[in-house]
Amino acid sequence: MKSRHLRIAIGVAVALGSSALAGCAPSTDADADDTVVVWDYYGQSTPLTEAIARFEAANPDITVDHQGFDYDSMQEKFSVAVSSNTGPDLATVDMTWLPDLASKGLLADIGDISGGILNGKPIESQYSAGAYGAMRYDDHTIAALYDFDAYALFYRKDVLDAKGLTVPTTWDELLATSAAMAEDSDGDGKADKYALQLLPDSFHYVQLLLQNGGSVLDSSGGVAFDSDAGIGALEFMNELLTDGGGIYWGPSEGDSSGLPGVKDERIGMFLNGPYMMGVLKDGAAAQSGEWAVAPAPYSKQPGSYLGGTGLVIPTTAKHGSAAWKLAEFLLQPEQQLLVYTEAGAAPATEAALAMPELSATDPYFGEQAPFPVFQDAMATATAFPYVPAWPAIDTALTDAVTAVLIGQASPADALKTAATTAETALNG
Amino acid sequence: MAETRLGRWRRTRRYLPGAVLLAPALVVMTLMFFVPMITSLIYSFGDYSGIGPFTWVGLDNYTEILVDPRFQQAWANTAVFAVITMTVGPLLGLVTALMLNNRIPGRTFFRAVFFVPVTASLVVVSTLWKPLLNERGLLNDVLQLIGLERHDWLSDPSTALVAVSAASIWQGFGFETVVFLAALQTIPADLMESARMDGAGPWQRFLAVTLPSLRPTLLFVFVVGMIGAFQAFDQVYVMTGGGPVGSTTTVVFYLVERFRSLDLGHASAAAYLLVAVLVVISAIQFRIARTR
Amino acid sequence: MIRRRRLGLAMLWVVLAASSVIMLVPWFWTVTTSLTPAAEVFSGNLLPNPPTLEAYAQVLTLIPFGGYFLNSVVVTVTVVVLNVVFDTCAAYALAKLPLPGRGVIMIVLLTTLMIPMQVNIIPLYRMMVNVHNAVPWLGADTLSGIIAPSAVQVLGIFLMRQFFVSVPDSILEAARLDGAGEWSILRRVVLPISWPAIATLVIFTGLAAWNDFLWPLIVTGSDASRTLPVGLALLSKKNTVNWSETMAGTVLTALPMIVLFVILQRRFIEGLTAGSVKE
Repeated sequence: MKSRHLRIAIGVAVALGSSALAGCAPSTDADADDTVVVWDYYGQSTPLTEAIARFEAANPDITVDHQGFDYDSMQEKFSVAVSSNTGPDLATVDMTWLPDLASKGLLADIGDISGGILNGKPIESQYSAGAYGAMRYDDHTIAALYDFDAYALFYRKDVLDAKGLTVPTTWDELLATSAAMAEDSDGDGKADKYALQLLPDSFHYVQLLLQNGGSVLDSSGGVAFDSDAGIGALEFMNELLTDGGGIYWGPSEGDSSGLPGVKDERIGMFLNGPYMMGVLKDGAAAQSGEWAVAPAPYSKQPGSYLGGTGLVIPTTAKHGSAAWKLAEFLLQPEQQLLVYTEAGAAPATEAALAMPELSATDPYFGEQAPFPVFQDAMATATAFPYVPAWPAIDTALTDAVTAVLIGQASPADALKTAATTAETALNG
Repeated sequence: MAETRLGRWRRTRRYLPGAVLLAPALVVMTLMFFVPMITSLIYSFGDYSGIGPFTWVGLDNYTEILVDPRFQQAWANTAVFAVITMTVGPLLGLVTALMLNNRIPGRTFFRAVFFVPVTASLVVVSTLWKPLLNERGLLNDVLQLIGLERHDWLSDPSTALVAVSAASIWQGFGFETVVFLAALQTIPADLMESARMDGAGPWQRFLAVTLPSLRPTLLFVFVVGMIGAFQAFDQVYVMTGGGPVGSTTTVVFYLVERFRSLDLGHASAAAYLLVAVLVVISAIQFRIARTR
Repeated sequence: MIRRRRLGLAMLWVVLAASSVIMLVPWFWTVTTSLTPAAEVFSGNLLPNPPTLEAYAQVLTLIPFGGYFLNSVVVTVTVVVLNVVFDTCAAYALAKLPLPGRGVIMIVLLTTLMIPMQVNIIPLYRMMVNVHNAVPWLGADTLSGIIAPSAVQVLGIFLMRQFFVSVPDSILEAARLDGAGEWSILRRVVLPISWPAIATLVIFTGLAAWNDFLWPLIVTGSDASRTLPVGLALLSKKNTVNWSETMAGTVLTALPMIVLFVILQRRFIEGLTAGSVKE
């Protein structure tokens, strides 16, 4: 009894003494069983619970320990755990986190683990070119896209029809249509009914930038968003606010999806990704049949930011091959369909996108088939540049867009400031 | 010779009770705080992401963040935040504590009311305040009622920091109320009585008896409050995300951004600059408390 | 004279009542939102019609609420007990006993409050992982891992020190002259007059432990060791906020702390004027 206490005391003392200072890699391989640990950020609407149950039924030799986290705190939790050599075997991550995670060497090369084969076919052949590009960092495949995000135009079809308007396809038409659709019910000079939601963030600015023929970085990795195309995009965004029936939807609104504004009808149009189909059906069920989806209007070429959820295997995974086996299962078309049915988001593999269930008409969207619209958007979408400096560039762009939309700076000046910040970050 | 040894023993023995009482706390704090702090201090001199090699870079992390305009703005914002919250907060706390220290009907209820915001975390309180400060929020309804303009407090760079400060004060001053209340209870009753006998009015009694008795508590409130104010993060993260246009980015917000990117070197350097400034501020506060 | 005093108290009451309204408005909104069906939040109605306990039912069933609650209770009670013992002893030493460099020690201890938690997380987490590997029921992913960094808090030491500083030396000297040892002075003379301060210490260390989010999130990995704030975060969905459930969770988390506060107030802080220090 006494010696057991002593052993514990010595064990604790040695562990405490040896750990933190050295920054050494602790090993957690105490249990060598075949339990695959999965971390998931979808929350209550996760498609993984059902899919994992099916997987365990099909693979009785593998047990899955499925841990849920909330989206907001998962990145921090994941970074700390993996950099301390603990953490999951498989995790869902936001594709916008990849620059950070990948440049720090936290993500294993899925190409190595899988031999480049996903469910019997080369990985590359199962995704659109843009999607496959988003999964690559430094010539390694570091994530398998699980759900995708690319923006299309959501609009209140009932209002549009009632006012005798047509669906806009160009920037000029968008400006005219949204101006005609929006109303100013309290007469303060700002649109507050059926308005076009304008989110001051890099996602929405980058879409306009790409549509206007610009890019965030040039081919040699230098800052390019302060080009004429970039300034034009931001000028257009500002024009939508000042003359185009736009409503400024800043962080103070409390819900970036805009759902509160959709419900009280302040918002009649917005540009956003397929996950909003689920949000609308869930949160604004009363407006069933009133919404529709159309390709995002553009000036020079169609374009959107490309994001979504990736399945990643950390470099510290203890059961990498079993984790990949689970990932392959999750990426089968039948399991991918759960992304749509459970999470209301968009599955990412070509095989899943070809499933008839996804091209079916939807009563919520007035018997329109909304899904193909997003599929087309993905075909021309581009991921944010995968550089370690991306978080800093993201903040700089958000600041620039915000400064312009609240009338604090001109588009050219704001982007010039952002470009200086971005250049420092890229060189630092 | 023998006498010196005896003298030394006596002196050491004098310290023994204090050392014994202090030791357990010191051991725990060393393991749980000082060892990690020394580790992160070492991080601050290196290029390190938690994984992979640690490269010694000397003072580079410090010099790099010091020239970063965002970091400079973060310091300015933090200072403004600290000044606002540390003047209004303790004052409200003291006033409410004095009011609640009277025998009035519903005293327990009132005390609970002022304390309730403290029981919720800053994250929760910030979540609550966001819709209130919104252009269509309740605050603006009230302002309009009394004939003032509606304003989107959190979306305007010139008011966002003040709005965040207001929410923080609302959440936090109950803490000060409770601390002051506990301290007011320990003011010797006969001290107050004799002052009353001497014919001192309420205001004179406050200046002559209450305030001097509260001096240790005031030091506590200002030292802890100042440290808390310089650590402002949760309310900014929830209410504004550091914006608009960096107008509410605080020092800790800045370093948490770096931390999330596993840029441990710069994050730790920013943290130690913060500690250095706070040590100086606290030392000054201790000095003032002693000399006055 | 008495009439003037009555009038003063009445005015005081009005001021307090008015400020209570300001203090309570956000909570009014919290409670009403938690009673509103999720689909009707933001629909412009101030009061839920009819109110529903649906969100509470969701919170209690969607996540293992009871387990999280129990973990939170164990963590909070342990943290409070440890702090009352450790902080009080250390504070008494720093306030009243001869020690070299007491002021410097206090400021050095205060640096642990000055360092942002995030910076310490990685070394601390690694320590806990190593402890866990050596002793499976300690460290990371156990309640002990959540408790350890809160076992001693400098905020508590400082609070108690400032209280002890205000205790007149004369009563200690009197006891010393009676031949009492330092330990029995602390127990028999100092502690009996310290209950308002200790109650305050209980409130603040209890609150901090109850509401802590970041560290419990990092150090726990399974439902068995999750605390309430960490568990409630799991109610969220990736892209939207369910306001009804969030607010129901907020109410359920805050309620035990409010009850604790009211009890401690009545028992220790409020009725003590009669027993305050005589010099």
